[in-house]
This record gives sequence, structure tokens and C-alpha cells, in this order.
Amino acid sequence: MADLLSHLLVAYALFTVASWRVRWLDHRWVVVGMGGVAIPDLVKVDIVLDADAAGSALGIPLSYAPLSTVGGVLLVAGLIALAFERDNWRRVYGLVVAGGLSALVGDGLRVYADGRASAWLYPLSNWRPPTPSLYVSSDPLVLVAALVVAAVVFAVDRNRRTT
Amino acid sequence: MNVWKRLLVAALLLTALGGLFVHEDATADARTPYPEPHELAADYDGYVGETVLVFGTVTGVDGSEIRIEAESEGVTIDLRVASASTAVEPGGVVQVYGELRPGQQMVAQNVAVVNDSSGAEWYKYAVSAVGALGFLVVFLRQWRLDRETWTMEARDG
Repeated sequence: MADLLSHLLVAYALFTVASWRVRWLDHRWVVVGMGGVAIPDLVKVDIVLDADAAGSALGIPLSYAPLSTVGGVLLVAGLIALAFERDNWRRVYGLVVAGGLSALVGDGLRVYADGRASAWLYPLSNWRPPTPSLYVSSDPLVLVAALVVAAVVFAVDRNRRTT
Repeated sequence: MNVWKRLLVAALLLTALGGLFVHEDATADARTPYPEPHELAADYDGYVGETVLVFGTVTGVDGSEIRIEAESEGVTIDLRVASASTAVEPGGVVQVYGELRPGQQMVAQNVAVVNDSSGAEWYKYAVSAVGALGFLVVFLRQWRLDRETWTMEARDG
């Protein structure tokens, strides 16, 4: 995956642009949506608790890979929504899912040597979408591009507020 | 909705997530058309001639040949990759798409450098940590935990 900061900046830009049309989407809700981009990165829990070790401890093989898929985003977004008041569940869930999907789509543009991204639509589909192989996850240019996009959106947004 | 009902719903969601963890592992072959490193290690000769995608850590570079180590399920396999004309250092991570030849050799059709050295991996984690911290600061400026209902509440609302 691209670094988390780039994902957050891209989500900030997307939600802020959306807020120009959606009146209730103020800064507080933009921040909630941005949080969704972290869901696919939860797959890194493997560093703390190895999936193979956890599987053998539980007696059933498992993989954390679903966290970086549509299925994982839909379920974890539900857990996040539960942390908010009942009246806000729908809004939080929708925003967090949108944030998570933006990260999955962004990751789906990464380089794969065989030209196909991972099957991130799981469990809806096992299909590996073609990737334009735009970047590798450790490429600092990704962050530079995300910073530029976020800065432009920030400037336009500020301008809209003051005029 | 009280705290106990919310915990119950959370438990249901976590159970579903656990179900996906198990289901994904059991059906992974449907989404990855290539043998995994531990499968290669168990029966290398059975896969000779196949075109595969392997993720590996570079252990050595010798002209246009690189040596990589690939791992899955605690099993590692060493592969020599020919015609991998790419700038990478030992400790870097590459994806190799190519044909398996006898003697644990691959002829690369395409090599993608994921991290050109082990430093690139650290760069990614450091930038991600900055992102996580920055997000927490921004989030907690807008929201706070209401300790009576154990829900997040908007600060200005």
C-alpha cells in the first residue's frame, strides 16, 4: 500500500471537494471519512501478531488479507460506526466506507509485475483488476503528488469560505 | 442503544471478520493463480516451465542476475533470477514475473522493484506513522469521547 499519509491527503482532497456540494459535510465529517483510509492498512497487524502463529494457536489457518479488501472495509467500518451515537451511524458508516474504498482503489493502481492488482473486491469477486502500475508503495513521489493535490484543494476550499 | 447492545453488535461484526479471515485463507488459490513459496519449496520440479509471480527479498546482486529469498507459511526458498536488469540492493524487495527453470532459476519477463533497499521500507513506515499521528491530532480536535455513553461526540455540538 502507499504510505498512510498519502492516503489521508488524497481522502482529504476527495471529501473536501465533495463538501462543496454536500452541505452537511463539514470539516468534522471530512475527518471521519479520512479515518476510513486506515482500514486496509490494518493488515499490518501481522507484524505484531503473525497470522500463521495466530492460526496455529487457534487451530485453524487464517489470513488477515481480507482487511485490505471490500469485505474488510465494510465490516470494520461497522465497528467504527458503533463508536458514535446512534443518530450518526449511517453517516459515519457511509463516510468511513468511502474512505476505505478510496484507499483500496489507490492501492489498486500500484505496480504488479504481472499487470494485475490483488483481488481487493473480495468477497464480492475473486477477480484481479488490471493495474496501470503507476507507483510502488515506497516511492516518495506518491507523497509529493498527494501533498500537491491536498494543498490545491485546501487553497480553493479556503478561498470559497472567505468569499 | 446501550453499551451492551453495541458490544453485542461489535461481537457479531468481529465474528464475521474472523469468518472472512478463515475463508480467505482456505480459498486463497482462487485469487492467486500462482504457487506460493512454500508450495514451490515442497515440489519445485513440479512447477518448472510455469510462469509465476514471486515476491522476494534480494539477498545478492551479480551483474544482471539477482538472488532472492521468498517466504510463505514459515518456509523459504532461494531463487536465482536471470535477466533482472534492475537497480536494487540486497535487502530490497522485488516482484519477479517469469518462467521457472530447473535448478531454482527464473528467467524474468518483468521485475518490479517494490523497495530498492531496506531503507525504503523504513521510509514508508515512518511516513505512515506521521500520517497516523497527524490524523489523531486532527480527529481529536473535532471529536471527544463522552464517558457517560461511551460514544464519540462532536466537540462543538
